[in-house]
Amino acid sequence: MTRYDSGKKGPLIEMKGVTKEYHPRKSFFSKAGNKVLALNAINLSIQRGEIFGLVGQSGSGKTTTGRLLVKLEEPTRGKIRLNGERINDLAGEALKNFRSKVQMIFQDPYQSLNPHLSIAETILEPLMVHDIGTRESRRQKVVDILETVGLKPGADYYSRYPHQLSGGQRQRVAIARAIVLEPEFVVADEPTSMLDATIAIQLFRLITRIREQFNMTFLFITHNLAAAKYLCDRVAVIHEGHIVEVNTAENIIKSPEHPYTKKLIQVQPGFRYNR
Amino acid sequence: MSLLCVKNLSVGYETKAGLIKAVDNISFDLEKGRPLGFVGESGCGKTTIGMTLMGLLPDNAVLLGGSMEFAGKDLALLSEAQWRAVRGSEVAMIFQAAMNALNPVYRVDDQVKEAIVTHNPDICDSDLNKRVQELFDLVEIPQERIHDYPHEYSGGMKQRVIIAMALACSPDLIVADEPTTALDVIVQDQILKGLKEIQSKFNTGLIFISHDIAVVASVCEDICVMYGGQIVEKGRCKEVFSKPRHPYTKTLLGAYLSLDNEESIVIPEMGEMPDLTMKSGCCRFSVNCTVCSTACRTDRPQWIDISPTHQALCCDEGFIKDKP
Repeated sequence: MTRYDSGKKGPLIEMKGVTKEYHPRKSFFSKAGNKVLALNAINLSIQRGEIFGLVGQSGSGKTTTGRLLVKLEEPTRGKIRLNGERINDLAGEALKNFRSKVQMIFQDPYQSLNPHLSIAETILEPLMVHDIGTRESRRQKVVDILETVGLKPGADYYSRYPHQLSGGQRQRVAIARAIVLEPEFVVADEPTSMLDATIAIQLFRLITRIREQFNMTFLFITHNLAAAKYLCDRVAVIHEGHIVEVNTAENIIKSPEHPYTKKLIQVQPGFRYNR
Repeated sequence: MSLLCVKNLSVGYETKAGLIKAVDNISFDLEKGRPLGFVGESGCGKTTIGMTLMGLLPDNAVLLGGSMEFAGKDLALLSEAQWRAVRGSEVAMIFQAAMNALNPVYRVDDQVKEAIVTHNPDICDSDLNKRVQELFDLVEIPQERIHDYPHEYSGGMKQRVIIAMALACSPDLIVADEPTTALDVIVQDQILKGLKEIQSKFNTGLIFISHDIAVVASVCEDICVMYGGQIVEKGRCKEVFSKPRHPYTKTLLGAYLSLDNEESIVIPEMGEMPDLTMKSGCCRFSVNCTVCSTACRTDRPQWIDISPTHQALCCDEGFIKDKP
């Protein structure tokens, strides 16, 4: 059985020459299309404890990258490593163990939570699947994690259902579900694009706090360069399946090298405002 | 002389929890050629305003009072039959989700034609085709694509068709409700530039609704900041953004992330939702306000002039006027 040793040195995540192709199927309404190259031989490494931003416009392959890293999809070619271990061929126990180390927060909190499950059931599910703790300790864990994500007092939210919560609260539940197993790596796919600015900024602070508290590593996928600058240590700009630039957000904004990055910066709507 | 003059407008929704006042006693003027922006969070009533101006409120909505003076008539008093003549030809709307606003089973040019034919039943085919070509040229969609179906278009192109449709009968007033929210930044930039160009070319009145202050800032001259169904601050964009006075405007601007380095982010402590069932006229922001005193929860806030073109709604005149 493969075990991941969190004490290891080196990058937590490594992608080498990862390519992902999609083959649209022939159907009644459409002819079999040409293959779509969603990712074209990308290389990426994410350090331990880092919040790494992936910025690009729709269709650039940023979500595909996130889905490959949590093994929701398989790469066509290339290697992905977590803690130096290849994840491509994981199966059985090793795969289950991997799933507890890597989690994802989805874009739309209105769709990512099961409306039939109460908040407690939603967060308990991963604990039960991985057989962690006793009945009582799991219950306590859920209340604790709810308070960690800012839903206080946790017991108040325990038996509520998603429809009783606002968008921001739902996204906090989605974050709680993702971090309850204390994974090493969390992929957050545009977690705030559906939320208002004042709510988004509170979630960014929450993500920063979780990173410090649990020493987690985040991949933050966004189309908003300003958000990436606020939250991330390093940023990769992705364009048509290629990573065109990797740097700190400040350097990217100050001295973009790739023409696409320049364009991205230029079109960010902005205004002068003296605080 | 303003194009649209809204006075003391209130709109409510009948719900199981009782009457919810989604728009509470708002007044504003729109001048021709000066785009007006509405900005606020979800649930602040900005879309309700747009729908009221289009006469498209859902069945459980009630117009609780107020007037909407437009081109010599009060839109609040129109019957459904009268609305049908106004909607599309004098007032037009650009809807939020272009993907859902187009009918998937009709070709896009036919959908634009429908808007024209409805208001000009006698138009001949050659004039109609000419007009459609003009409109697609205006929104920069190539002629060879105008017979396509919506699914053959990208998100940005669909949004362009929606704009063409809104322009079809040369309306005097266009209400744009989050026209670029579903698009990514590069396409958003193209659409906003196009919209602004068209607006200044035809000198139409434009009401621009968005949750994104930067988008509003790039399109509009005037701005109304909304919270919980009330306009809390209004004025020239420049003034409101450079000297925000209302506590909510400050919160909203403080949470805005920009590419510039120097500005610090203030993280708001906003937990509570505004109480929309509240008695009319009270300050809806008092539940989250940091400078709020007990008087704020019972007193009626007043419009306080900061300059002739910049006002804020608050109970505390000292706070609005003294502190920068």
